[in-house]
Amino acid sequence: MNNKEKNHFHPPPRWLDWLLERFCAPHLWEEVQGDLHERYQLRIKRTSKAKANWLYFREALSYLRPSAFKRHYSPQPSFADMIRNYLTIAWRNLLKNKAFSSINIAGLALGMTCTLLIMFWIQDEYSVDAFHTHKNQLYRIYERQFFSGKAQGVIWTQGPLAEELKEEIPEIEMATAFSWTNYQAFTVGNKTNKQGINTAGPDFFKMFSFPLLQGNVETALKDVNNLAISRKMAEAFFGSPEAAIGKTIRYDNRKDLIITAVFENIPQNSTLQFDCLRSWEAYVQDNEWAKGWDSNDPLTFFMLRVDADPAKVEAKLKHFTDKYIPDPNKTFRTELGIQPFHEYYLNSNFENAQVAGGRIKYIHLFTIVAVFILLIACINFMNLATARSAKRAKEVGVRKAIGAIRSALTGQFLSEAMLLTILAVGLSLLLVFVLLPFFNSLTDKHMTIPVTNISFWGIVAGMTFITGLLAGSYPAFFLSSLNPVNVLKGTLKFTSGSLWFRKGLVVFQFALSTILIIGMIIIYRQIEYVQTKNLGYSRENLIYFPLEGNLDKGYGILKEQLSQISGVKQVSHITESPASLNWGTDGISWPGSDPTNRVRFTPVGVGYDFVETMNLKMKEGRDFSKKFATDSTGFLINESALKAIGYKNPVGKFLNWGNHQGKIIGVIKDFHFQSLHTPIRPLIAYLRNQHREGSIMVRIETGNTQRTLSEIETVCKKLNPEYPFTYYFTDQEYARQYHSEQVISRLSNYFAGLAIFIACLGLFGLGSFSAEQRAKEIGIRKIVGASVGQIVLLFSADFLKLIVVAMLIAVPVAWYAVNEWLQGFAYRTEISWWIFVLAGIVTLVITILTISFQSIKAALQNPVKSLRTE
Amino acid sequence: MRRSDLGEFEEIVLLTVAVLTPNAYSVVIAEELEAQTGHTVTTGAVHAALQRLEDKGLVNSQMGEATAERGGRRKRLFTVTVAGSRVLHEVQAVRDRLWQRILPNALPKIDLA
Repeated sequence: MNNKEKNHFHPPPRWLDWLLERFCAPHLWEEVQGDLHERYQLRIKRTSKAKANWLYFREALSYLRPSAFKRHYSPQPSFADMIRNYLTIAWRNLLKNKAFSSINIAGLALGMTCTLLIMFWIQDEYSVDAFHTHKNQLYRIYERQFFSGKAQGVIWTQGPLAEELKEEIPEIEMATAFSWTNYQAFTVGNKTNKQGINTAGPDFFKMFSFPLLQGNVETALKDVNNLAISRKMAEAFFGSPEAAIGKTIRYDNRKDLIITAVFENIPQNSTLQFDCLRSWEAYVQDNEWAKGWDSNDPLTFFMLRVDADPAKVEAKLKHFTDKYIPDPNKTFRTELGIQPFHEYYLNSNFENAQVAGGRIKYIHLFTIVAVFILLIACINFMNLATARSAKRAKEVGVRKAIGAIRSALTGQFLSEAMLLTILAVGLSLLLVFVLLPFFNSLTDKHMTIPVTNISFWGIVAGMTFITGLLAGSYPAFFLSSLNPVNVLKGTLKFTSGSLWFRKGLVVFQFALSTILIIGMIIIYRQIEYVQTKNLGYSRENLIYFPLEGNLDKGYGILKEQLSQISGVKQVSHITESPASLNWGTDGISWPGSDPTNRVRFTPVGVGYDFVETMNLKMKEGRDFSKKFATDSTGFLINESALKAIGYKNPVGKFLNWGNHQGKIIGVIKDFHFQSLHTPIRPLIAYLRNQHREGSIMVRIETGNTQRTLSEIETVCKKLNPEYPFTYYFTDQEYARQYHSEQVISRLSNYFAGLAIFIACLGLFGLGSFSAEQRAKEIGIRKIVGASVGQIVLLFSADFLKLIVVAMLIAVPVAWYAVNEWLQGFAYRTEISWWIFVLAGIVTLVITILTISFQSIKAALQNPVKSLRTE
Repeated sequence: MRRSDLGEFEEIVLLTVAVLTPNAYSVVIAEELEAQTGHTVTTGAVHAALQRLEDKGLVNSQMGEATAERGGRRKRLFTVTVAGSRVLHEVQAVRDRLWQRILPNALPKIDLA
C-alpha cells in the first residue's frame, strides 16, 4: 500500500450518516460523526470494506440511545416532546371518558371491519383469471351479430376461427377454441365417474397458466385420442398423477383415450373450470358442424405477441369473418370484437353488442357502500369530539394562553384522532380475523388475511391515516379556533355555524343509512320476486337428468317403466334443460315474413306429454299427440312467437323452418325459459322422436321424493348401467341462475344493518352527551312541573327533526339509485311507496329507541341531584 | 440530578481517560478498551459513558483539533477532574483493601499465564 492510498479518505455509507443526523442532538453531531468516520478509517485499513461497513452500521446503531438524542435544554420543546405530550393527554382523556371512547372506537372499528371485508371481497373479485402469466396478452373473441334490425353481442364463435386467426393475423401468436363443459362418464376398470370435460386446441396449456404435473405443454393435446386430466381426477381413478400418465381411460363408453398430461387442480378464481380436456380436433370429428362457419359454438381465445398493439389487431379483426360467411342478402352480419381475457368475469354483459359491465356493477356498488360506512363512522367521531369540546375548551384556552399556536393545537387533536384510529384498526383487524370464515361462507369464497403481503399493510396504514385525518379534521379545526379569552371566562357558546354543521353531519349520516336500508329492501324484494314469480310453468317437483347413453334408443321402455312408478306423474324430454333454453335460430319464415329482417326464435325439441310435464297452459290448440301421425312435422309456438308472426287463427297455419314446412298445432301461453334478466323470446317446439338429446324431465308427486328418486335411479341404471345417475331439481337449478344476486342480497342486508347500527351508536353518544349538558335544565323543568313524558318529547324532538330531514333527502336519492339497479332486469319488482315508508319507520323506530334510553334516563333523574352540584 | 455512584463500565472508561490523557477521546478509548478486553466496544457506548461521567463532574471536556481522517471534524478531548481523580483513588483503595484481606487459599487457583 503506498502512502497516497493510505492517507486517502474512505467515505463511509452515506445513508447511515443521513439517518443518524435526524436523530442525533445537533450539538453532539460534529464529534459523533467525527468519531464514527475516524474509526471507519481505522477499520478499513485493518479489514475488508464489507466488514468495515458492517461494523460502521453497528457503531451507528450504538448511538441510538437517549444520551445522543437528548437536546440541550431549550425553551422551545422539540417535536417529539410535543407528540409525547399530545399522546399522554389523549390517553388520559380516553381513560377518563370510557363510555365515549368505547363508542368512538367501536364505531370506527366496525366501520373499518366492513370496509376491510368489502376490500377483501373486491380484491378477490379482481383476482379472478388474473393469475395467468400471459395475462396481458390473452384475449377472448366476442361477436357482434346484426339481425332483425337488432345488434346482439355473443361470446360463442365459429369452430374454425381460432386456427384461421393464427394463420391470417401475424400478431396473434397462439389461439385456441374452447368448447362448453359437458358432463360425461369416464371408466377405468370397473370404476365409472362423471367428469366435466371441455375441448381445446394444442396451444391451450402454452397460453394459460394451468401448471402440468405430468406431461408437457407441447404434446398435452396434440392428438385426437389425448386427454389431459386434473390432479383430482387422476387421484380418483389412478391414485396419483404419476400413476395416471400414459394410461388409457374409457370416454362416454365409446372411445379409449390416452392420458397425456395431468394438470394441477384448477384454482377457484378461474372462470375456466374443467376436470379434463380433450383435443379440439376430436370434438370436430364428433361434431361435423363445428367445421363450418355457419354455426357458433365454442369460445375462442388468443394470445397476442408481446409487442402487438391490441387496438390495431381489433381493427384488423372487425370484418374478419366476412370472407368466410357468404351472405348474399346480408340479413345477418357478424363483426368480431376482442376483450382482455381476465376482464370477462367482471364485464360479461352486452348492451347493443358492446361489452357493458356485469359484476363490476356490484364492485362499484360495494365500493360505495364501504365508503358510506366508513364515512358514517368518521362522522360519529367528528360529532362526538366536537360535542364534547366544551369539556376540552378550558384546556385549549390554557394552551393558547401559554403560547400554543393554532397549528400546534390542530396537530394535537389530529394526533388524538390518529391514536383512536390506530386502536380502532387494531380492533377491526381482530374482528376481521374472527369474522372472515363467516364472511367466506356468506360469499362462497376462500379469502384469507394476506398477512405476508406488504401492499395489504400499506393499504391498512393508508386507510388508518386517511380515516384518522378525516375523523380528526373537523374537531381539530373547530377546537383550535376557540377564542381563549371567551373560553377561560367560561362562556363557551357554540356558534350557530358549528351547530348547523353538526346537525348537517347527523342528517348526512342518517340519509346514508336510510339509502342503504331502502336499497337493501329493494334488492331483497327483487330476489324474492325472481324466485317466486310465476314462470308460466311449475318448477316444483320437476326433476330432470341428462339424456345419454342408451336412453335415446331405449326411451320408449324408459318412459313406460318410469310411468309405472307410483310417484311419477308424467315423463317427457327436452333439448337443453327446462331451467334454461338458450339456442337460437333465424331459419323460421312464414308467408309474409320479411326475409331481410328475420325474427330469432328459440328452438326446442321435445317429446310427447311436453306440455303436461312442464305444467304449461295452452292458449289455443293442443300438445303433440300420438293420435295424429302428422304431429311429427308440427310445431308448438308460444305467445311471443305468435305476436311476431301475426297470424289471426294460428292453429293449422304453416311455418317454414329452412326448407321444411310444418303446421302449427298449438299455442302455449308465455313462460320463462331463461333467467328473468332477459325478456321472453319467441319459442318454437318440434317433436323429436329420434336422436333425442338434452334432458329427460319427470314430473313427480309431492311427498316421498326420496323413494321416487331411488326408483327412477333403479330404472335408469338397468337401462344405462355405464352411466352414473345424476339428476337436478328444476327449482334449484333455476335459483342457481340468481346465485350472485343472492350473495349480493345477503351482503347488502348485513352492511345496511351495520350502517344503521354505527349511525345509532353515534346518536347514542350524542344523546347521552346532550342529556349530561342539559341535566340542570331538565331539573328546573321538572321542579316547575314538567312531566316525564314532556321531557322525553322535548328531548327526542331535536333529534327526530334531523332524522326526518335526513329521510326527505334520502328518499329521492335512493329512488334514483334503485331504479338504476333494477334496469338490469327485464322483469322487475315495482318500487312501491310503502318501501320508503317502511324504511322511514324502521329508521325512526331505531332512532327513537336509541334516544329514548338517554332521554328517559335524563327525565327520570331526581332534579335535586342535578341541581345540587356546584 | 447528579448520581455519585459509578458503574463498572463508567469506571473503566474513566480509568482509560486517565491512561490516555492528554489525548483521550471516544475513538481511542474504544480502541484501547477493545485491545484490553478483547470484546467489541462501540464508540456509542463510550460516548454515552463519557457523557454520564461529565454529568457527574468526574471528567472535563473541550473540543480538540480537526484531523483528515475525521473528515475535518473536531474531536472532544476528555480529562479527569479533581472529583474524578478522588473517585478513582477511592475505588482503588477499596479494592486494594479488599484484596489484601483475601486469605491465601480462599480463591481457587487459576493459571495466570
